[in-house]
Amino acid sequence: MSDWESKQKQFIKDILAGDEEAAVSMARTSLEEGATPVEFFENCIAPSLQDVGKRFETLDIFLPEMVTAADTVEKVNSEVIKPAVAESQAGESMSLGKVLLATVQGDLHDIGKNMVGLMLKVNGFEVVDLGTNVPPADIVARAEQEQVDIIGMSALLTTCLPYMKDVCDFLEGKGIRDKYPVIIGGAATHPEIAEEMGANTHGGSAAEGVEKCKMLLGKL
Amino acid sequence: MTDPTDYEILLNTLDKAENGPIIDEKEWDHQYISQTVQELVQKYDISWATDDPMVPWDDDFADRVYAAGLEMALRTGVYCLDTKRQMLWKRGELEHILKRTPRQVTVGAGEDAVTVYSRKPDDSTRVAIFGGPWGVPVTEELYGPFIESYAQEPVFDLVENATLLSTHGRQIRAASPWEAVAGWQEAQMALEAIERAGRPDIAVGCVEISTTEVGELAGSTYGGYRPTDIHHAALISEQKTAYHQLIKSVHFAHTQSFSETYFNPMYGGYVGGGPGVAIAIVSGMLLVKASLGGTFCNTGPTHVHLDCSTHPDLIVATGLAFQGLARNTDLLVSPFVRPTAGPGTKEIFYESAALTIATVVSGASLIDCVQSATGNNTLYSSPLEARFCGELSHSVEGMTRKEADPIVKKLVNKYKSIQGERLIGKPFTEVYDLESLQPTPDWLDLYESVCEEFDQEFGLSVN
Repeated sequence: MSDWESKQKQFIKDILAGDEEAAVSMARTSLEEGATPVEFFENCIAPSLQDVGKRFETLDIFLPEMVTAADTVEKVNSEVIKPAVAESQAGESMSLGKVLLATVQGDLHDIGKNMVGLMLKVNGFEVVDLGTNVPPADIVARAEQEQVDIIGMSALLTTCLPYMKDVCDFLEGKGIRDKYPVIIGGAATHPEIAEEMGANTHGGSAAEGVEKCKMLLGKL
Repeated sequence: MTDPTDYEILLNTLDKAENGPIIDEKEWDHQYISQTVQELVQKYDISWATDDPMVPWDDDFADRVYAAGLEMALRTGVYCLDTKRQMLWKRGELEHILKRTPRQVTVGAGEDAVTVYSRKPDDSTRVAIFGGPWGVPVTEELYGPFIESYAQEPVFDLVENATLLSTHGRQIRAASPWEAVAGWQEAQMALEAIERAGRPDIAVGCVEISTTEVGELAGSTYGGYRPTDIHHAALISEQKTAYHQLIKSVHFAHTQSFSETYFNPMYGGYVGGGPGVAIAIVSGMLLVKASLGGTFCNTGPTHVHLDCSTHPDLIVATGLAFQGLARNTDLLVSPFVRPTAGPGTKEIFYESAALTIATVVSGASLIDCVQSATGNNTLYSSPLEARFCGELSHSVEGMTRKEADPIVKKLVNKYKSIQGERLIGKPFTEVYDLESLQPTPDWLDLYESVCEEFDQEFGLSVN
């Protein structure tokens, strides 16, 4: 077993257990031993998070454990990896891209959207989560403010689909439609609806949503 | 106006949404729900293995699930999304609400009236059948015939609606005037459909298009749906409510309308696996009664990836929770039969049957059937699968849990390995003749072959 393999095995255990101290300590030690922050991210954090995502897809773990793992990695990133990257002035981004997520106006269901957010995070995306019942104008304004790479919207209820289309229309009206690929998901949606409303694509599940986001950014 | 005691309960509930402790929503999901469930699973030793009974008959086990669910309800309460407050009930308050629950209720009117009874595990009391497409999306032009095809089924005691995809050719937008227009149109078309089916006073589940209170208020005012129909309100996963749901409950109280309130915990979500879902169902049924009233309390726990309520673990969890509720309360509870498979497949019968049998013998009062192909596909639903559930329900009245267990296990083995394939089957337009509103010969043949299979393999007379 290589050094990275054994580290990754332990790292997975630590993040699933929410052991921030152990996970942060491993990252610090690795960097002290000569690994670059990017190497630690690519060889330990990224594959560990992908493993966590796969375990959730098969329900070997449940949502709370995925939340714990994602939160623990957030701690490692903020305390060790990001400062080290800034110090080395490498300027190298480890994020696949920034995705805005929102459950659209009229809909208060958030578990599906939260699952997608976590799956995106564990696969290397940054996520800006606006929550539920978000008006179309707010989605567009925050996309501009946060300079996101993708707009992702969720709806469980068919009566909330018009608000998704509004976002596409608002982007069109402002002349910024091409700037933001739009992905939709949720029980009320399917690929034909995405096409009809002018969204770029549709995610049928959290895992498929991740793949589609990678595809939208040419990173698949 | 309801009597003062009931009304006082309603006002007290509304007070809780304004005066409870303020909590961050993320904290609610992770600490109040997730951690509490995990703790209670351990404390009450709620677990089962894959080779354990799928329909447990251990009363002590069922009572532990109930005790865990009651403790969860009292410790967590309900989260109000509008006020960000925790709505808490004291033990005495909850017990008072449960004591006031009638042991039987007659819904509908005239010749179409039906009495729904509180049932116990292994009970031979008649179970009521609530048949319908349960929110499956449908076009305006097919809405009337679609509902009529269900209402004409004599086995259904109550009939549920579908979801309109548009209203007068326009998109239906939540909380807008279009929701009001659609609420009215739905009421008009549904009431015309039951009239054509010769059952003008059957209780109808409504208002299906009511995403917010707008549709409910519009569709059930003068000339629309009636107090004898079954009006819906829900807790949102996990154990959350909002003003629009509370407004509906106020409306039900003032109009003295019957209602079915529901809560669908997520399997694999914040409540975890099967044991957590069992606890969440008990907690949710107690809290849906306390927060929204509800003549009937319904649950369709949902698999986070498959969207169904028929996953093997959910069969066990739902049955156990129903046993706990039936042994300790008189609540009129119903399961929400939501298979992955759709019309035109054999699997839809197997999936629906497994949950139906497990819950009838566990004390369900009525069976909500069938939200075919998980309810997400336009027109993928037909009355035949719901007829099957209704007939099957009556054939297992009086069966014991121990007798039901091997049958349910065999049924689950027929579908568990292929649930991920999502066999959504065929739409209504391909399995029913749109003139006669009867199943096509192929679909009827498949149904009859499965009925024969149930007779030969399990000794159950379905058809």
